[in-house]
Amino acid sequence: MTRLSLEVNGRPVTVEVAPRTHLADVLREQLLLTGTHIGCEHGVCGACTVEIDGEIARSCITFAVACEGARVRTIEGFDDDALMARMRRAFTTEHALQCGYCTPGMMIAARDLVRRKAATPELDIRTEMSGNLCRCTGYAGIVAAIESVVAEGPAVPATAADPARWRGPAPGPDATATVAATAPSPTAPAAPRSAPAQATAPAPARPIAVEVGPVTVVDGETRFTESFVLEHPPEAVWALMSDPQRVAACMPGLTLDPPGPDGRLAGRMEVRLGPITAGFSGEGTATRDDSARRMVIEGRGRDRKSGSQAAGRVEYVLSDTAGPNATPATRVDCVIGFTLQGPLAQFGRSDLVRDLVARIGEAFARTVDLRLRAPGDATVAPVPLGGGSLLVGVLAGRLRRLLARLFGRGDA
Amino acid sequence: MKAAAFDYARPDTIAAACALLAADPDAKVMAGGQSLGPMLNLRLAQPSCLVDITRIRDLGRIEESDDAVVLGAVVTHAAIEDGRIADPSRGFLPRVARGIAYRAVRTRGTVGGSLAHADPAADWLSTLTALGAEILISGPHGARRHLPVGDFVRGAMSTALEPGEIVDGVRIPRLSAAARCGFHKICRKTGEFAEGMGVAVHDPERGVCRIVAGAGGGRPAVIEASRGAGSRLLARLVDAEAVREALIEAGVAGDEYRMRVHVAAVRRAVAEVVSP
Repeated sequence: MTRLSLEVNGRPVTVEVAPRTHLADVLREQLLLTGTHIGCEHGVCGACTVEIDGEIARSCITFAVACEGARVRTIEGFDDDALMARMRRAFTTEHALQCGYCTPGMMIAARDLVRRKAATPELDIRTEMSGNLCRCTGYAGIVAAIESVVAEGPAVPATAADPARWRGPAPGPDATATVAATAPSPTAPAAPRSAPAQATAPAPARPIAVEVGPVTVVDGETRFTESFVLEHPPEAVWALMSDPQRVAACMPGLTLDPPGPDGRLAGRMEVRLGPITAGFSGEGTATRDDSARRMVIEGRGRDRKSGSQAAGRVEYVLSDTAGPNATPATRVDCVIGFTLQGPLAQFGRSDLVRDLVARIGEAFARTVDLRLRAPGDATVAPVPLGGGSLLVGVLAGRLRRLLARLFGRGDA
Repeated sequence: MKAAAFDYARPDTIAAACALLAADPDAKVMAGGQSLGPMLNLRLAQPSCLVDITRIRDLGRIEESDDAVVLGAVVTHAAIEDGRIADPSRGFLPRVARGIAYRAVRTRGTVGGSLAHADPAADWLSTLTALGAEILISGPHGARRHLPVGDFVRGAMSTALEPGEIVDGVRIPRLSAAARCGFHKICRKTGEFAEGMGVAVHDPERGVCRIVAGAGGGRPAVIEASRGAGSRLLARLVDAEAVREALIEAGVAGDEYRMRVHVAAVRRAVAEVVSP
């Protein structure tokens, strides 16, 4: 817990908070200022809008610890504000509320809009207010109320821009002395961190184009195809790609347990994508057909942290083709399908899947190529994805879909 | 939902921030937290420690030179919108800033945070790529380097930042008086993630003509004319079929609907630049 001092509605307050506690919870639960409403709790609905150092902000995605030394104003702090008094009257006159849930946030945002932009010609109130949602669909009344306050003209003089004012998020460096809450001393010597696996490559990885087919979602399963060509004869590629252990070793982030007696595969995949990290543990099976040079890998896994579960299937088949100088080469065609359930499935951005799977496929193909060019059994670490900030692995299929699926739902 | 537990550190220098990040691979930088906050609340992200960089004075800086302006990483979209920065773009940056999410997000969301998060749908990613901006990066032990925005972004939410490094600012070249810019994004709902984004910058005096298609799922796609060929390129890109071909060549992909959205966004941005 961290002791936190800030000013709320003109009064200094000190509270004990955990770093993860957001400002809205401190206001409601500890200071009992329940006028601040919590709607979506992830920065979409605007019900929790408050002022921090005079600018509106969403208190559900602003952590309280970050407000040390800030001046916070909630709906309760506007009782004596002349502009808000006009806004209240206008909301009453225009019937701008029904259930009242969105109203505190709506009024704080509306007052701020009038404060900043009352003099703006052709002010588009609907667009400006689009960050505050009303589920009673009372927008007509809300817009009319704001229009009427705008028509009266600004009661408060527009705040002159202070050139010396902090340009970052409030409250900035001038607020209070710097506090390191529960964290280690910032001056601690930089320990050598576990560097991302560096390929002890005998040759530099060469780029390999990966074709990704359209991504479709059928019955909750995301499906796509990937194909690439390796400039190695099919026998050599199959020698590697028929062995799940060696396939897994070409996937950054994937660790496979030693093979068990029953042929089942088990392992773990570390995923790091932007701020999202996950570690999927799971198991699966591999079925190979040497004559057709075809492999089917199926599996399922669970992320302990989020409780998300994933299941997937990858099928790949090798075929003869010709390289650039009519040298023997191998075409690898993959059909991949996966489902994801649980918290990670919430983050649905299907448009990102294609980019992601293309990069995963490319890193895999480049590593296979490197390994086939490496003499003997030289250790070749997987080619990292995207400069190391995205470590994604796939046991030829099964876990790949999980993380692609991080972005896989809906079309937001 | 509530975020999972994390530690919190609030360094007051860039060096201290880099040291904290270098010491803990699971630590995460937070500036305004307007993208990270929701991910934390949804528990998509569960870092061990948040390193709050918004009290680092250097990161709020504005540096002007003859040919460029540097914005510190934690300068907010609202500060740009309100004209509280030296503007190298003759009004283009404030205009783009105004369209980012919502005011209550813009007051805390930062330009450096947006770039480091590297969401393909982010406005600054495409806009600053089109303007030819450079990302300034600070690392452990005072190391500094810079990269063009286009090289900094490796893919969706993936950047060239190494462990212990932070974005400390962005250097934006000054446009000349004759420069023209166009911007258009297509969203289902105002302020939501864009489905398509077109940015066009034509600055004949500096020999720059760059058209960027953003919100495509990966890094921004760039169509660029060599010096002196800008007007010709723009004239060609008035035509929808020509735009579609150029986008496909630049790596933009998607189903028919998405392609139409990208083409429309780019054409509208180009139209602003070529309109009399």
